[in-house]
Order: sequence, then C-alpha cells, then structure tokens
Amino acid sequence: MEPQPEEPGAAERGGSAENPIPLLLRLRAQTKQQLLEYKSMLDANEEKTPEEIIPEKQIENKIEDLENEIEKVKIAFEMKKLALDRMQLSTALRKNLEDSNIQTSELMDNMNHILKLNKIIMKLQQESWDLEEKLLDIKKKRFELKRASESKFLEIQTEKNKQNDDLANMENSDKMKTLQQKLQKEIQITTVIQHVFQNLILGSKVNWAEDSAFKETVLQLEKNLTMI
Amino acid sequence: MSVLRPQDQLPGLNAATILLVGKEDALLQQLADSMLKEDCASSLKVHLAHSLPLPSDVNRPRIDLIVFVINLHSKYSLQNVEESLRHVDTTFFLGKVGFLVTGAGRDSHCSVHRNTVLKLARAYRSPLLFCDLEVEGFRVSMAQRLVRMLQVCAGHVPGVSALSLLSLLRSSESPCLEDL
Repeated sequence: MEPQPEEPGAAERGGSAENPIPLLLRLRAQTKQQLLEYKSMLDANEEKTPEEIIPEKQIENKIEDLENEIEKVKIAFEMKKLALDRMQLSTALRKNLEDSNIQTSELMDNMNHILKLNKIIMKLQQESWDLEEKLLDIKKKRFELKRASESKFLEIQTEKNKQNDDLANMENSDKMKTLQQKLQKEIQITTVIQHVFQNLILGSKVNWAEDSAFKETVLQLEKNLTMI
Repeated sequence: MSVLRPQDQLPGLNAATILLVGKEDALLQQLADSMLKEDCASSLKVHLAHSLPLPSDVNRPRIDLIVFVINLHSKYSLQNVEESLRHVDTTFFLGKVGFLVTGAGRDSHCSVHRNTVLKLARAYRSPLLFCDLEVEGFRVSMAQRLVRMLQVCAGHVPGVSALSLLSLLRSSESPCLEDL
C-alpha cells in the first residue's frame, strides 16, 4: 500500500497512512500465517528425535528423502487444488448454461470458436505427421542407396585390385620368361634359315632382279638381315 | 543470549526484522539503505552485525531472517561467517538463513573459491545468492529480493512459509558436485 501524500500523518516506513480496513485484513492474514507457523513448529517438536549418533551420509540421505516428501506433498496439494478449481468452474458453467439463453450466449460463441480451432489444430497435426512420415521414408531410402553404392564401390575396388595383381603376376611369371626365350630362339632359327636361303640364291649366281616375285622374296629376306 | 533462536520472542505486529552479518561495513550499510528504500507494506528493521554472538543486553525484536554476507576477496570474512554460524540455533536453518556472496565479479581478486561457498551453502541447506554489492543496480535488485524473502520468513505472506520458500529456492544440484 503506497502512502497517500495528502494524509496529514507522516508516511513512515510502515505505510500506516492506509485505510484501516485493508490494514486490519492484512494484519489478520499475517497473524494467521504466523500462528500457523508456530503450530507447525510445535507439532514438529513433538516428534521424538533419535538419540543415537547417525553417520553423516545417512543423515544427508534422510534429509533428501524428507525434502522429496515435501515436494511430493506440495505437488499433491497443487493437483488437488487444480481438480477442485476445475470442479467449481464446471458447476459454475453448468449453472450459467442453465440460466442463460443458449442461442445468444457469448459462452456458446466461445465454445464454437474453441471447437473450430481444435479441429484446425487436429487437421494440421495430422498433416505435419504425414509429412514427417514421408521425410522419414525418404531418409530411409537415401540411407539404403548410400549403403548399396558403398558396397558397389567396394566391389569395384576389389575387382580392380585383383586385375592389377593378376597383371603384375603375369608379367613376372616364369611362363612368360620361358615363352620369351622360345620366341627368341625361333627368331634366331628363322634368321639363320633366311641367311642360308640368301647365300644359296647369291651363290647360285641367278639374276634375281629380273623376276618380280623373286625380287620380292629376296628383298623380304633383306629385312631380317638388319636384325642381327 | 549466546545462541540465536527463532522463537525466542513473539513477533511484533506488522514488523519484520532482518539481520545482516558480515565484516564489510560499507557494503552492509549500503545494502541496508537500499532495502529500507524499498516499497514494503510491513515495517522493516535492518540490524547489522560484525559477527555472532550478539550482545545480550540490547533489547531487539524477533529476528526473522539472517543473511551472512561473504566477500570472496577475503578469507577472513569466510572464517568470520563460519564462526558465527555456530551461534545460530538449528531451527533457524529451516528457511530463515541465507548466504549472500559478493565480489564474484572480479575473478583476479578472489581468494576464496566459489566452490567453497557452494559447499558451505549446501552443507547448511540454505539458499545461496550471488550479488556484486558495489554495483548500484545489482544492489537494488538484491535488496528487493531480500525484502520479499524477509516478508515470507516473517510470515507476512499468507500461504507461503519460510520452509516452502526454501524448497522453492532449491536449485537442481549437478550430480558431480554431489559426490564431493
């Protein structure tokens, strides 16, 4: 209560320039509360305190349990108060509905509005739920695709590695070496035979330049001469 | 009286008394002034003390709320508060005691660690408030909080008792600190 400046009395730090009736009501509430506190203290002191020395940890646990109990009792009280308020509200509403004209009452307008809003809310919630489902499906599919592509990549890689290994093996294998040696031998044999033919033709003193087919054969043999 | 008890005297009508205990006179005085400037329906009385026990020859009203002011810059203020705590009756700790820590803003000057004060407040299961009392704005808001707490502890707020305020002010404690 703010002290009114027009009051003739001094507005000291207690707001004594209040109207008497609110002041008395407030003081009454105060004394009631203080009385309640003293009563509860008396009740608490009647309980016997344990005489033996309990270790500190146990005391802490006990204290916490008691605090939890306080919280539970407070919550239960709040719930009951809520339920009581709801019951009072519903009876008041019912009485109001019985008395007043149903068609033109503001209450009915409010209730209709509430119903409309609730319908819209439910519809929107359903839509958002559907969208979330779709999103979830798409995410799943993407995940599956990712997994499949991962496995495919792995396969490709293993195949490539195998191929590379095979190639390297082939190049270094002994078979290749023996084949190459055989090839060299055959080439050498063929060159020797070609030399022999050439020397035969040269030694027979035949004019090979005149016959075109002959010329070609000799010239072909010439090619291999350079390989020695 | 060597030990402060909450029910030693009957409550005065429409009166609420708070006791601020701490070594920093200037800060306590400023806080007291801010509290007295607050708009409050009940008449407020602020008592300042260096340490407990209080001299027993003074006629003083029933104390509704004790706030121990600890300055993080000096270990001495913490020691002083710890010694004064012994002269307070256990029933006071059911919501009528609070710890106020100042000086947390300047970390370089702090010689007392925050955790020490946290453990102290947790050991006594009392609310711990942090405020830089040298800054005007913080001081004013802390004064408002203290006035409200004082009203609840003095029983001037119907429906809220000191104990219920205590359980409201309890912050959820992190599990790692619990094991300390």
